[in-house]
Amino acid sequence: MKGADRGAGFEEQDGFTDEPPGKEPVMHLERGQFVAESSQPVPRASLSARTLAGLWALRIFSIVVSLMVIYTFIDHLH
Amino acid sequence: MRRWTATTEGAQTPVLAEPPVTAEDIARSWDRSRVHHARTHKKRWWLLWLLLGPGILAMLGENDGPSMIAYASDGAQYGLGFFVPLIPLLFAMAFVCQEMCMRIGAVTHRGYGELVLQHYGKVWGWFSAGDLMLTNLVTLVAEFVSIRVGLAYFHISAEMAAALGVATVVFTLSGGRYWRWERIVLGMALFNGLFLVAAILVKPHIGAVVKSFDFTPFPGGSVNNLLLLLASTVGATVTPWMIFFQQGASADKGMTATDLKHGRIDTAAGAVLAAIFGVGALIAGAVLFTHDGSTIQGFAGAGFPDALRHVAGGAAGTVFALGLIQAGAVAILTISASTAYAAGECIGVRHSFNNSPRQAAIFYAANIGVAAVAAAVILIPGAPLLSIALNANVLATVLLPVSLVLMVLLANDKALMGAWTNTLLNNAIGIAVIAFVGLCGAAYGIDSFLRTVHLIGS
Repeated sequence: MKGADRGAGFEEQDGFTDEPPGKEPVMHLERGQFVAESSQPVPRASLSARTLAGLWALRIFSIVVSLMVIYTFIDHLH
Repeated sequence: MRRWTATTEGAQTPVLAEPPVTAEDIARSWDRSRVHHARTHKKRWWLLWLLLGPGILAMLGENDGPSMIAYASDGAQYGLGFFVPLIPLLFAMAFVCQEMCMRIGAVTHRGYGELVLQHYGKVWGWFSAGDLMLTNLVTLVAEFVSIRVGLAYFHISAEMAAALGVATVVFTLSGGRYWRWERIVLGMALFNGLFLVAAILVKPHIGAVVKSFDFTPFPGGSVNNLLLLLASTVGATVTPWMIFFQQGASADKGMTATDLKHGRIDTAAGAVLAAIFGVGALIAGAVLFTHDGSTIQGFAGAGFPDALRHVAGGAAGTVFALGLIQAGAVAILTISASTAYAAGECIGVRHSFNNSPRQAAIFYAANIGVAAVAAAVILIPGAPLLSIALNANVLATVLLPVSLVLMVLLANDKALMGAWTNTLLNNAIGIAVIAFVGLCGAAYGIDSFLRTVHLIGS
């Protein structure tokens, strides 16, 4: 039986969770792989002030250089 | 009664509550059960076959139309020399970056976009997604141009090129399974080897190819032109979409920390193949070096395929044209997929090939929609296709460092990565790659701008 076909009515099946390991394919997912688990947001990280400053500097620099590339691109069209 | 167990390849661990099971879970777990079976029965080659995919696709997907044109341009303008060893070196850099995002995807089971958005905040998440959308759209236009140029060699129209590109995306999405999508695209990606065939057909001098690995002769001529080729060559090996794609695909495939060794083999195999085929494109282009190769504009008229036909024969031109079609088609599939992963992750809706279009409407709509928009651009009369194609890789190079820094931060986060955080060597190489990519992109961007506004001589 194909997995996708199996999945369609899977929720209604009774007793599948008591199957021995290896027989029931859902058993082979790590808990964090379930959609219900991976949909939960990960905790917010706290970046140090130095890291944030560095990230913003790099961000602004990349935007400025991107604008230069885009300006050059448009100028060369004329 | 034990109602639920989660496993790490057979290690049974009772858990407290049972998560609801979706069709996506079922589809992924069937793939995982095959991996488990291959591992427990020590079927090593079968296990490798099952776990190959995201790394090879990311690397060969990046050997796209603009990239192969960039490599061929390197050869046509400078001959064999500096750029021949540079390509493998750049793919070694790409391996370091791609291994990191594969590892993050396998350990956290999440894509890059959602991790950045949730872990570092919406500002950084949407900046990353915005960079990706911009560079992906520009690059996808270049991919359609590549298909158009390849098909033009066979006198097939631009409308047909646009239709074929979008039809390929729709066809590969029609199975509702990640595994099916991956295997189809993997099969197509291996035809990137056409560039190696093109290199053989131009009958290169093997001694000259081997000698060029000493990085000589160093290219001379216009500094700005050299910087453009350097930036676009760097942009041809490491780009934002590869990060989104490989991390998202590794999670979608269901890879776990137990698969990291095979994930590395997959990524390394992709890097080696991509470097060989990239050097192949350069060698094919280098045959034009002594035939006014520097005057060839890759996307003007029939470009390289026609030039190769005149210099090295019809077979070389035909194979190169077929290679451009293949490179463009595979990149359309992988880049559209990375856009879809990013859209689904950042909006917070389902983002897996293991869902049906009805279950993941935004994911599928983004996948097809971005390809359709890019296809429409190449049909606009008088659109600056040549300039778009040449600048696609440069823009990716300029915007890449921020994505790489966030990726290195993620890979060093113990709360997310546990025992699989970066080593000191990972970090040292990662920082060196970020500095190199940043310098290459900035050097071209600033130099071109200053010349354009006449602050330095052109």
